[in-house]
Amino acid sequence: MASQFVIQTQGLSKVYGHQRALDGVTLQVAPGAIGLLGPNGAGKTTLLKCLLQLQPITSGSARVLGREVGREGREIRKRVGYTPEEDCHIPGMAGCEYVTYCAQLCGLPFQAARQRAHEMLDFVGMGQERYRKADTYSTGMKQRMKLAQAIVHDPEIVFLDEPTNGLDPKGQAQILELIASLSRTYGITVVMSSHLLHNVERICEQIIIIARGRLLVHDSLENLKASRRGAAEVVLAGRPQDLQAACARRQWPCELLPNGHLRVEHQAGSLNPLLQLLAESKIVPLEIIPSPNALEETFVQALEMSHAAS
Amino acid sequence: MPLHDTSYQHWQGVHLGLWSRRWVIARNGLTACLQIKGMRQLATVCWLAGLIMTAMLFFIGQLLVADSVVVQWVSTLNPNLQTFARLLTAWLEQHPEISVRTTQNVLFYYFSIDLMPFSIFALGMAIPLLVTRDLASNAIIIYASKAVSRGDYLLGKFATAFGLIALTWLGPVCAAWFMGNLLAPDWRFFWHSRAALAHVLLYGLCSMSFLSLLALGVSALSTKEKATPTYWFLWWVLGGVLGPIAIQTRPWLQHLSFNYNLDQIALAVFRLGTDLKTAQENVPVFGEMLRNIQPQTMAALNTPALGGASVALLLMLGLAAGTIARRVKPE
Repeated sequence: MASQFVIQTQGLSKVYGHQRALDGVTLQVAPGAIGLLGPNGAGKTTLLKCLLQLQPITSGSARVLGREVGREGREIRKRVGYTPEEDCHIPGMAGCEYVTYCAQLCGLPFQAARQRAHEMLDFVGMGQERYRKADTYSTGMKQRMKLAQAIVHDPEIVFLDEPTNGLDPKGQAQILELIASLSRTYGITVVMSSHLLHNVERICEQIIIIARGRLLVHDSLENLKASRRGAAEVVLAGRPQDLQAACARRQWPCELLPNGHLRVEHQAGSLNPLLQLLAESKIVPLEIIPSPNALEETFVQALEMSHAAS
Repeated sequence: MPLHDTSYQHWQGVHLGLWSRRWVIARNGLTACLQIKGMRQLATVCWLAGLIMTAMLFFIGQLLVADSVVVQWVSTLNPNLQTFARLLTAWLEQHPEISVRTTQNVLFYYFSIDLMPFSIFALGMAIPLLVTRDLASNAIIIYASKAVSRGDYLLGKFATAFGLIALTWLGPVCAAWFMGNLLAPDWRFFWHSRAALAHVLLYGLCSMSFLSLLALGVSALSTKEKATPTYWFLWWVLGGVLGPIAIQTRPWLQHLSFNYNLDQIALAVFRLGTDLKTAQENVPVFGEMLRNIQPQTMAALNTPALGGASVALLLMLGLAAGTIARRVKPE
C-alpha cells in the first residue's frame, strides 16, 4: 500500500555539473520522526530540496504524501513545511509579520494567518520579540521563527534542515523538545537532517544515513541499537574500581570514560548478564544506558564501508 | 507563564486560491515600497501633477465656452485674446470631435511622456525590493517552499512593479482625464476625448508591462542592494545622454535607451502628426501656427522609428527574461 509511506523514492539521482549529489536513492519512509544523517556534503539538503521540488530531479522518481514530485509540487508544498539551514527571513519584516506572510503564502486568509502566526510563535516560545524586526534576532530566535513559519499552515510533514545549528545546549534542548512534541503529540511527521548524532538519537525513531549521495542505512533506531547490543554505560554513585574488578573477573572489557561513567562490553544481546554481575557484586548503579554509541558506531561503520566501496 | 493555551493547534480552515496568494506577494511588495518615504513623496508629486493637468483641462474647456468666466478674465488681460477665444468657441461648435480630441490627445501625450520619468525613478527605488533582497536574504527559498511556484512568485513581483507604475503614472493620468472631463462645460467632452484615453491606456499598459519586466530583470542581476538600482539608473541616464550625441553619427545607438524606444512607441500610439494635420486643414488659425513647426520635427512626429524601437524593446525583454530565468530558476 502506497499510502502507508509518507516519502517514497525510486532511484532518485541529482547531478550538479560533474558532481553527483544523489546517486540512485531508493527509500520508503513511514510516518514518525525521521533522522537524516550524513557528513557535511553527503546530500542531505539536496535530498530535501528534491523532495520539495526546489531542485529538479535528474533521474528517478519521488513521491511525498502520495503525490508525485515534479508534477504536483505546489500541492505537496501546501502540506509540507520546511526550515532551510541558512537564514531566510525577509529584511525589514517583524517576526510576527513574517510568519503571517508565510501563512498567507500557503493560502490562509489574513485573519486566520495572523491568529495562527501568533499561536505558532507562542508554541515555539517567542515572546514580545516577535514584534521586532527579524534582522535584529539572535540565532536562537531565528531558528524558532523558522520553525514557526514551517508549521504555521499545519503541515502533515516538516522537513528540518539542521534546526539546531548555532544554538547553545539549552536552546538545542528546547528546540529538540518542540520538534519531538510535533511528532509524538501532534502526529506531524518530522524529517530532521543533521550531522549531530546525539540530537537525532534523542528524538528520532527512524534513521536514514546517506553519504556521497548514496543511501547507506535506513532502519529504525531500535533495530540499529539491537544490532549493536553488547555494551552499556553504567553510572555509579560509588567507586568505579569495584565494577572494573568484577568485569575483569569475567574478562569483560571495561573503560572509565572522561564523564565518570563506565563503559562495559558485556557481549550479550540483553542487559541481564550485566545486571546479574551488578547484583552479585552488590553494586547499585544510578543509571544504565544500553548500547550508548549504537548510532555513532553504525554511522562510522557505514561511512567506512562507503569509503572502502568507492 | 502564558495566560492562554500555547500548545500546538491543528488548523482546519479553507485555503484561499492561487490568485489570492499571488496578490499577497504583490501587496506585500507594494507595502514595502510605500514604506520608503521618498516613494510616498514621489507618488504625491505625481498625483499633484495629475491635479495640475485637471486644472489645465478645466481652463481649456472654459476657453471653448463663449462668455465663460475664464474667457472674460482673459479678455481683461488682452482684448485680442477675446477674439482668439471666440475662434476657439466657433471651432468647438463646428468641429467638436477635432477640437476636444486633438487638444486632449496632444495634452495627454505630453502628460504621459513627462510623467514617465517619475515612474522610472520610482522603479529605481523599488528595484532592490523586487528580487534583489529575496536573493540576498535567501527569502527566495521560503517562497519556493510554500504553495506557490516560481512563476507565481514572479507574477506577484511583476504585479508589484506594475502597481507601482500605476500609482505614479497611469493612475494620475487616468484620474486627470476623468476629472478634467467631469469639470468640462459639456458632457460630450467625455465622448470626444475617448481616443485620448484609449491612447493613454494602450501606451500605458504596454509601457508598464515592459518596464515592470525590465525592472524584474535588472533586480535579479545581483544580490547587492546597491548594485541593482545603480544599474537601472545608469542605463536610464546613459541611454538618455547617448541618444542625442549619437543621433548624427550612429542613430541606431539611440535604441539602447529604453526611454527613447518608449517615446517612439508613444508617438506611434498617439499619432500626433495625424492630429496636427487634421487641425491644420480644418482650422485656418492653427494652419498658420503649425506651419512654423520645423519639417524634421513634423517628420519625426509622422514617422516614429516603430520597427527599431519594437525590436530594441523585445531584445531588452529577452535579456530581462534570460536574467530572471538564470537567477530565479524555475522549478
